[in-house]
Amino acid sequence: MPHLSVRIPLLCVALSLLCANPALGQHDHSAGEFEVFVAAEAFHGSGHAPRDDADPWIDADVVLGVTEHKLRVFGEFFAAPGESDLERFQVGFEFVPETVLWLGRFHQPASAWNTEHHHGQYLQTDITRPYIERWEDEQGIIPQHITGALLESRQSVGGDGAIQLSGGIGAAPALTNLSMEPVSLIHSNPGRHGLSVTGRLAYLPEYVGASSVGLLFGHDDLDASYALALPALHSSHANLTVYGAYIDWTVGRWRVVGADYYVDVALDRTARHESFMSGYLQVERQMPRRLTVFSRLEDSARMQESRYVALFDHEDGNLEISLRRQALGVRWDYARRQAVTLELSHIVSLQQQSNQVRAQWSAAIP
Amino acid sequence: MECGNSVSRIAATAVLLTLLAAGMQALADEQLVLIVSAGSTIAQLDSLEVRKLFLGLTVTQDGNRLRPVLNETDARVKEIFLQNIVSMSDITYDRSLLRLTLIQGQRQPTAYRDIALLLQAVAADPNAVSYVWAKDVAHDSRIRILRVLWYD
Repeated sequence: MPHLSVRIPLLCVALSLLCANPALGQHDHSAGEFEVFVAAEAFHGSGHAPRDDADPWIDADVVLGVTEHKLRVFGEFFAAPGESDLERFQVGFEFVPETVLWLGRFHQPASAWNTEHHHGQYLQTDITRPYIERWEDEQGIIPQHITGALLESRQSVGGDGAIQLSGGIGAAPALTNLSMEPVSLIHSNPGRHGLSVTGRLAYLPEYVGASSVGLLFGHDDLDASYALALPALHSSHANLTVYGAYIDWTVGRWRVVGADYYVDVALDRTARHESFMSGYLQVERQMPRRLTVFSRLEDSARMQESRYVALFDHEDGNLEISLRRQALGVRWDYARRQAVTLELSHIVSLQQQSNQVRAQWSAAIP
Repeated sequence: MECGNSVSRIAATAVLLTLLAAGMQALADEQLVLIVSAGSTIAQLDSLEVRKLFLGLTVTQDGNRLRPVLNETDARVKEIFLQNIVSMSDITYDRSLLRLTLIQGQRQPTAYRDIALLLQAVAADPNAVSYVWAKDVAHDSRIRILRVLWYD
């Protein structure tokens, strides 16, 4: 199922030239509240391979941040053909340095991948994200957008290290017609929203570094009383409890990112809970000439037996539930804040196996 | 004869002092210093605080949040800043600032490519912290040097 069009390369070249325009870098000074992350992607899959990750052919993620004394306001607006949403909007108060209480809609801290990359494709080395980390509108099976309160703190321990603690509490997404619907700040809100409690405890070997290792926890009460979800699950609630561990470690030119999740699903009218596991390991290596090669392995256990997971498997074939994936790729940061990436992957899903190739241009502006 | 010796001694001393002054000037030319406004109450900042500040993390003094100002007036300053202050390559530093913006909405530090504008901005903001060649602020009463960050 090819997804190639002449407009994609043309648009990429135009945007690339615009971003690289030397005149943009010749101001006497520069700073701003806005950052825009843009990406354009071409996709080809073997057989009846669907687009799997639902990556739009072009998208823009606008990040706004304002800091005034101890007050912070932060927003992230994502736009793509057929989709636009205020993904995050948070107002925060920084009690002491690096301890902030946020109110608003945020990404739940128990996701190892999304709290690092959010919707900014340029900062993600590869093109696809692991299946277990997908967003709700990409058939993600773990709630990612919560509306409520989030406390984040980073405190020094030992010589150079730090402990990072994040805890969120708020409204979980509702289970509507075969997908999860988080509370929207700009659209309507179908369904009822239960309680979500999520957290992360991490150790950072360097207070100012990017490496960390930690434990993740999440509990979401998903209300499934809406239309098709109720008969599919035979339950009006799905109580998800997620336990996880992750590592994101950089040593010299090497980086290792891995996470493993155990998900327990409690349904009404069933004596036994469902449970399944999913995890991934990605290894990256920086090469000369600003090249980075990467490889990722994803695997799962008992996902194919879960009624809860099957709820998200659409029959239209536009998206699919991945059980396993092997991905390999290379990224080239050919200019300041611009990169092109090629990724090959083999996917085993609930329905079939497929091979996919993706090419992507991504950038951060300014 | 004695008078001739005195003249020689005076001349030698004058030459020595001239050379010393020239040497001091040359030394000062090769010093990168941490600066704040002359009216600022900012006290000393250690290396970790300076690194935190320029990596976009929160650093406060007396309850005031310090504001980093990047000096991009010449390539050599940028090179020393990356190697000795944040200890990162250009691309890694840029990505770590972008990462913080994406994660927390932290505003990126203001960068100046004109030394006069940079000094003017630091002088006007009691919470601003930047770094410049010592020679650029040697006779500038608006600026206070906190410490030497690097010298050759």
